[in-house]
Amino acid sequence: MRAFDRPRFLRVFVWIFFVFLFAPIVLVILFSFNSSRSLQQFDGFSLRWYETFFESESLRDSLIASIQIALITMVVATILGTMLAYGLVRARTRWSDTANVLMLIPLVTPEIVAGASALLLFTQVGLQLSLTTIVLAHITFSISYVTVVVRARLAALGRQVEDASMDLGATRWQTFRLVTLPALWPAIIAAGLLCFALSFDDFVLSFFTTGESPQPLPVRIWTQIRFGVRPTINAIGTFMLVISTLSIGLALLLPRLLGRRESGLKVLLGREGA
Amino acid sequence: MTSANTNRAHSAEPSASAIRFEGVTKTFGDFEAVKELDLEIDKGEFFSLLGPSGCGKTTTLRMVAGFELPSTGRIFLDGEPVETVPPYKRNVNTVFQSYALFEHLNIADNVAFGLKRRKVAKDEIRTRVAEALELVEMTGREKSRPTELSGGQKQRVALARALVNRPAVLLLDEPLGALDLKLRKQMQVELKGIQREVGITFLYVTHDQEEALAMSDRIAVMEGGEIRQCGSPEEIYEQPTGPFVAGFIGVSNLLPGDDGSQISVRPEKIWLGTLENGMTAMEGTVVERVYVGTTTQVIVELESGVRLVALEQNTASARADDRWEIGERVKLGWHPEHARELR
Repeated sequence: MRAFDRPRFLRVFVWIFFVFLFAPIVLVILFSFNSSRSLQQFDGFSLRWYETFFESESLRDSLIASIQIALITMVVATILGTMLAYGLVRARTRWSDTANVLMLIPLVTPEIVAGASALLLFTQVGLQLSLTTIVLAHITFSISYVTVVVRARLAALGRQVEDASMDLGATRWQTFRLVTLPALWPAIIAAGLLCFALSFDDFVLSFFTTGESPQPLPVRIWTQIRFGVRPTINAIGTFMLVISTLSIGLALLLPRLLGRRESGLKVLLGREGA
Repeated sequence: MTSANTNRAHSAEPSASAIRFEGVTKTFGDFEAVKELDLEIDKGEFFSLLGPSGCGKTTTLRMVAGFELPSTGRIFLDGEPVETVPPYKRNVNTVFQSYALFEHLNIADNVAFGLKRRKVAKDEIRTRVAEALELVEMTGREKSRPTELSGGQKQRVALARALVNRPAVLLLDEPLGALDLKLRKQMQVELKGIQREVGITFLYVTHDQEEALAMSDRIAVMEGGEIRQCGSPEEIYEQPTGPFVAGFIGVSNLLPGDDGSQISVRPEKIWLGTLENGMTAMEGTVVERVYVGTTTQVIVELESGVRLVALEQNTASARADDRWEIGERVKLGWHPEHARELR
């Protein structure tokens, strides 16, 4: 039986797309386990590049710095972004629409502009470039992501559920704790992990706002590549890939593990039912 | 707080009405949602606020719940002024149109929510939740999640969640609005039965006139933030005091009367064909027949161009000579007591 409604060439397109998408990543992973220095020829399995990676004190410091930056960014941006979303949705004033648009600006600002202006600001204020300045820059752009995700969930939740809670004797704070927050958890967790992933592999903002040392891992890789490509890069790349994939995977899975029917993907896209 | 008001509230306490509005106005910016509302609702009454959307009925309800504060005027619950009391301290509970169930809690925990906030003992919570679920015929669904229930079942749970707290007044904001027609009719009967059983004052907001007529002890018809008429379903239907009420409740025929007034006659009060002595009689042409099941609407155009709707009963004993054809000349009339003069 021929399926007239499902042309075969579309399937071929999809396969070609996936090959182009994943081939470079697969190569990086494969060559990170190469036993020789070659970047063209696989000469057998070994972990020597991972050993070089973890034995290098400066690379280890960079890894720790990146994880620290991502963790702090995740926590602070998630809290601030959730508060911002709550304010934008619930405290409707004549400025709400303006604030809603302004909040989206970090999402569309070219990162190089954001980075350069952050650098300008920090030097003008007299802030020493360090991990702190990177964290400040990361938090600033991450808040918008959190707000977009949490706001969608809040809008879907509707106001009547909070009214119902107060109607049943819960104070404002109890309502937030017992009704609003439980409904928002999937969105908050998903948004937080997204922030972690975005901050962990950010290069442009980090490059502009980083101090001398330790530099976050992506900046560190870039510095190293300038002196020639070495196989250690493959090992670092694979390692970063694992961390990013884990955090995004958790963002998609955790809402389900928390006993919700909606998937994390829907939460991130703001597309779950009210 | 004036002492006059306080005194009145206290002296009236033994027989205080369940809800009393005194000159309550609510404005949103330039918009007056409710204007100078004066209204008393008795204890144990099934009272409906009826009107089109934007008439102020929901705002009135939300002021009783405490979600909105009146701009001016006073509201008394059981004789006590409550205008500034927050919703969580008022002895009223609300059933929302969207049900507003807590989706992260199961049915039993949804119903127990109010009792837990009031720190009721665990054993008592268990018995009262079971009783409430039995009242709304949802026993056995304690562990279900709200998302697993149908619209009608959700509304039953919402009702149980409110009633379990034994409020002085139950507020219902178009609770059947999201249900289909058949289920709505069934729930109307059940709601009325439940209200009779628990004896709690019900303040019911709806735009559905049939629903209000079917369930209420009294109805206030609202338009533009004001009460146009307040009375029993019979009074509202049979003796509308103005063209708005006559037109909003059921089908009404309006004829020009003397000096700018209007005459209103209900379709089922109009006789076709053979008339009796003492009736107001007219003649016209049948222009349309609409079969609606138990009755057929016959639309008759008078010489003046005014169109009147009359009802033919489609009962087994209906007379064959009542079957009017389009284009036929027909005599029609009504007993004078069935015509209302509206100004």
